[in-house]
Amino acid sequence: MLLYLIVNLVIVVALGFIARSIGQFNKTGGGWNFDYSTRDIVIIAVIAAIAGVVNTGTSTVWTLANSSMGPLGGALLQGAFMWAYILAAWLVRKPGAALAVGIIEVAVEVLLGNPTGIASLGWGVTQGLGIEIVLALVNYRKFDLITAICAGAAASQLGTVWTAILFGWDPAFAGDVWLAVPVNLISGAILSGVIGHYLAQAIARTGLVRAAAT
Amino acid sequence: MAETSYSLQYIERDSPLHRAYPLVKLGWVFLVAAGLFLYREPLSGAIMLLLVLLTAVGVARVPPSMVIRSSKLIFGVGILLMFFHFFADPGEPVYHVGPLTITDGGLYEGPIFFFRLSVVVLASFVLIWTTDIRDLMVSLTKAGIPYRYAFAVFLALRFLPLVQREVDAVKAAHAIRGRANRSSLVHRFKLWQRYMFTVLINGLRKAEATATAIECRGFGAYPDRTYVKTVTFHASSLWLPLLFILVTAALLYFERLL
Repeated sequence: MLLYLIVNLVIVVALGFIARSIGQFNKTGGGWNFDYSTRDIVIIAVIAAIAGVVNTGTSTVWTLANSSMGPLGGALLQGAFMWAYILAAWLVRKPGAALAVGIIEVAVEVLLGNPTGIASLGWGVTQGLGIEIVLALVNYRKFDLITAICAGAAASQLGTVWTAILFGWDPAFAGDVWLAVPVNLISGAILSGVIGHYLAQAIARTGLVRAAAT
Repeated sequence: MAETSYSLQYIERDSPLHRAYPLVKLGWVFLVAAGLFLYREPLSGAIMLLLVLLTAVGVARVPPSMVIRSSKLIFGVGILLMFFHFFADPGEPVYHVGPLTITDGGLYEGPIFFFRLSVVVLASFVLIWTTDIRDLMVSLTKAGIPYRYAFAVFLALRFLPLVQREVDAVKAAHAIRGRANRSSLVHRFKLWQRYMFTVLINGLRKAEATATAIECRGFGAYPDRTYVKTVTFHASSLWLPLLFILVTAALLYFERLL
């Protein structure tokens, strides 16, 4: 399990460096600014509530596929949960936004009847951290499509660490855990990275959220 | 249109568990979960399941019908996971089911994972059934989490019924324009995209208005805030985690002896 955790962290950091090396850094907005305004906090809360409603349905399908078919069963949908984390990080552009949405969204899911109960907090934390690590490596100053794809893929893959712990998939014996890695990455890149980025862009075009427009 | 909100809700009762300090109950859930990750014998998980069930029905006075109604959620995934382990875990073949083989290792490990997942879910349901989420948030702020951040959780829960109503309204608006439920998968995905965006935009519009409104009321101006209902810690709440620490320690001790 330790080897799996190390491999996952290496993948996440590598994705962070890919995001760092491609494209240009934002000159305005973002950065290591922890000063959350009330507006930021409310945006995080609203996105978490919406994602909680949407993801509860998805998580039921994912959990059934994962527990009955193993790591490969859930891999296709593994990346379908973090679009909201990316969206919040792209709209708020402050360290911790993705992690906060992860935790609050999962708390909402628990109340709505997530089939893994409070254990799902593990995914909120690991997936949120995946995005935060990638964004930290770009100094919270890059909010383009490549960064979103890398962050989505990283979150999707790091989330599988908790899945392996909770569902008892020992990577030393279960070859499926390793086979699922590329599927998890692609699923996260598309279903979270691309969708999250385009949602953020579309919302920025409406002019509703000021930070996103900068 | 859906008026509600959560599938799982606080059940207002007067019981020792209801009176326990919310943060202590949250700690208890994590304690139960931690124990389940340490057990190596299915029997320990079974004992813990029985104990949490007794706590729910006997101590917290949760109606048994409520537990039975939620049993699909509590045990469903656990059962599937157990069957998966029967076939996936390494070990000596015991039975053959078509091309699949059930191993002795799987038969041993499967129930461990069934109890691990089911008991964690049951314990978190007990927490929700016996704890007003507002009280839990107040106790979190008392534990040192800045109230502005804890408020985000309050807000998410406040927005939840509004979001659900909004989803229903947008779905109904789409259904009126055609039989959305019977259209092709691609069309349904496009519809999903459309109503997701509508719900998001409406939500963010409300967020902007809410942020302005609460700032106008001085939210965030002071380091502390007041609450309508006070939540006070009593040392008597500690019976719950202490009891479970004792049981967990005893189970782990007997596991080592076996």
